[in-house]
Amino acid sequence: MTHHWPVAITGLGCICAAGTSVDACMAALYSGRRAPAPSLRFTSSHPTRFPVFEVPEFSEPPELLRTSALGLQAAREAIADAGLDPEALRSLRVGVCVGTTVGSAMNNEQFCRDYRAGLDPDLAPIERILRSNPAAAIAREFGLTGPCQTVVNACASGTDAVGLAASWIRGGLCDMVIAGGADELGRITYNGFISLMITDDSPCKPFDKERKGLNLGEGAGMLILESEELRSKRGKEARSFLLGYGSACDAHHLTAPKPDGEGLRYAIAEALSCSDTPAEAIAFVNAHGTGTPDNDRVESRVLASVLPGVPFLSTKGYTGHTLGAAGAIEAVFTVACLERGMIPANAGFATADPDLGGTPIQANTQIEGTVALSESLAFGGNNSVIVLGKRGTA
Amino acid sequence: MRMAVKGIGVTGGFGSGVADLTAALKSGVSRMDGITIPSAQGPLQLPAYRAATERLEEFVAKRALRRIDHYSKLGLLGAHLALQDAGMLGTDLSRLGVVIASGYGATATTFAFLDSIINDGDICASPTHFANSVHNSAAANISIMLAAKGPSLTVSQFDMSVPSALMSARQWFAEGRVDAVLFGAIDEVSDLIGYLWQRQRGSESNGVISPLQADRESSVIGEGAAFLLLTRAEDAEGYCAIDTIETGSLYQGELPLPSDALLVLGADGRKELGARYRATVPSRSRVACYAPLYGSMPAAAGFDLACAALILQNGAAFPITGSAGCDMDGVVAELETERVCAVRLAGANEYAKIQLSRL
Repeated sequence: MTHHWPVAITGLGCICAAGTSVDACMAALYSGRRAPAPSLRFTSSHPTRFPVFEVPEFSEPPELLRTSALGLQAAREAIADAGLDPEALRSLRVGVCVGTTVGSAMNNEQFCRDYRAGLDPDLAPIERILRSNPAAAIAREFGLTGPCQTVVNACASGTDAVGLAASWIRGGLCDMVIAGGADELGRITYNGFISLMITDDSPCKPFDKERKGLNLGEGAGMLILESEELRSKRGKEARSFLLGYGSACDAHHLTAPKPDGEGLRYAIAEALSCSDTPAEAIAFVNAHGTGTPDNDRVESRVLASVLPGVPFLSTKGYTGHTLGAAGAIEAVFTVACLERGMIPANAGFATADPDLGGTPIQANTQIEGTVALSESLAFGGNNSVIVLGKRGTA
Repeated sequence: MRMAVKGIGVTGGFGSGVADLTAALKSGVSRMDGITIPSAQGPLQLPAYRAATERLEEFVAKRALRRIDHYSKLGLLGAHLALQDAGMLGTDLSRLGVVIASGYGATATTFAFLDSIINDGDICASPTHFANSVHNSAAANISIMLAAKGPSLTVSQFDMSVPSALMSARQWFAEGRVDAVLFGAIDEVSDLIGYLWQRQRGSESNGVISPLQADRESSVIGEGAAFLLLTRAEDAEGYCAIDTIETGSLYQGELPLPSDALLVLGADGRKELGARYRATVPSRSRVACYAPLYGSMPAAAGFDLACAALILQNGAAFPITGSAGCDMDGVVAELETERVCAVRLAGANEYAKIQLSRL
């Protein structure tokens, strides 16, 4: 593993149930506000109405999937935050790297119903999917000429997209990357996760003894990653730096983490090693923390083992599990927390579980230090970790 | 960062394995099969290149495959064949990365999951189908079967999935994250893909791919898996080196293409793309297209790379009537080559160039 030199993050954008901008989200997190509720956008014949975290004040244009529209909104905020004129992006080599799960799945339910009924359904819903590849939709919107990649690594997609984008900058593939993740809520993922019996019928409780599973959410997080050459030419100060990235596969099970957390351990070790970050420098960990019994047990035990005493929290109690967007939204939150010097309480936690490796942060807490981890665990055994540093760490 | 292609594992309409692909390249013959889809007029038979997965049982016990769908089986077979070809089956794969590129993912299982809801209600949604419909299911099954614990990446960028994913694989080598990468392209034929093709193109196609004809639709859907076992070029002997990968969108100007390389074009009979290839590739360029051996699918870009590797090992392109061994004007061209550039165009602006050379 070679040393990763830091890559500047100059802009942030976010939309999710916690808020429709980064500042609105952070205000919700620090105030402890969360409002999971049964979906207003779709119905289910399931007898239990499982709560979800929707973005009610957002509607997508008819030509795009909601996933891509969410991604575009977050990208616009990030571009503005980076002080960039969208028109000026055309003259740069700008890439797009976006994680998703729903955003590239060919799964329109009404189309399938009509098709199975022999009705020769119109192709419009499928053509909308083909038009809505999340990375391509952003590249097309802004006329970008650089590489374009939609990462579909299940729930680690957003973290991987940000980590890969940094490697593109380091490798000289482009001057700038719009990197992040986007995913929408819908009946298919809703019924799918219920079928796996990992969904909580009450507001989710990451790392709590009584946790029963996750609540689904939706949203998008985007970060502007920029080469040092371009950043200094623009005279733009970085908000943060992507210092390191590690990922590894459990090679164990399609939907469950390996009990000993081997893949996560390796991913953390790789992320720390490539960025020359000692474990004791980590101020906090923004954990995956879905609220499922398995995830929280494995993740907390690994953290207790490799980063003992380091404060950790899950922000999914405010956003729900936004799947392919989660890693990117949480990267945005991690940067914002480093800037503010404070992490929010782990929403939903009330009772310590002796079976876990530790307890999360239970109140807004001042942090000391300038470096933090954000991590994602995913179906397929994917484990991905990024190291983020506050302005001034590079 | 140059990468070496050390092993190839393929399954498609032409058969399974390097020997079958080589034979198809030499003979120009592949096997056209079909898919039957329902329609308002009754069942409709469409031409399609189908891929068999029976050879997977040479590597994996049948019992272990019971809950694995066709899409993942395609990937598993391609992966095992590539490792076998590279002489790496049974070796320590803990530093092996897995990269999968797929345009559409496991569409048959995605529809099967929807069927479970439509037929039996939300409460009967199938957990097995849901878990296997996730885009990275093939990568996961491959990693589990092979105990591959390095990084794993699945990319879905429709027609640009392969070049885009290959670019990230190269970065893994550049950053020293892996010793080898199992790189695979997978797409499957399903009801959805068949219906989509029928509605968009079926009425115009005569079922015979003529990739260099830009004035008419001639695409035929295909499925399969094309895997390459990649290592650092300085480490290995192998079929060829992958020298450069470039992808992006071109809104103005011309796409510069190397004049000294054989161009393996991703043209596959889709009329609108045929016109773009015509407009992009200089008329006197030496070109080859091998879509008539495996059909039209996003993963075909992986087969193009496998063919390019075999061409470079062979020292000359394989002529296929109407598809290879000519220039863009159809004039017979010299086939010997030391360099190949795989060119793929998609949509109105997207392009990819992958340059390969002899090791």
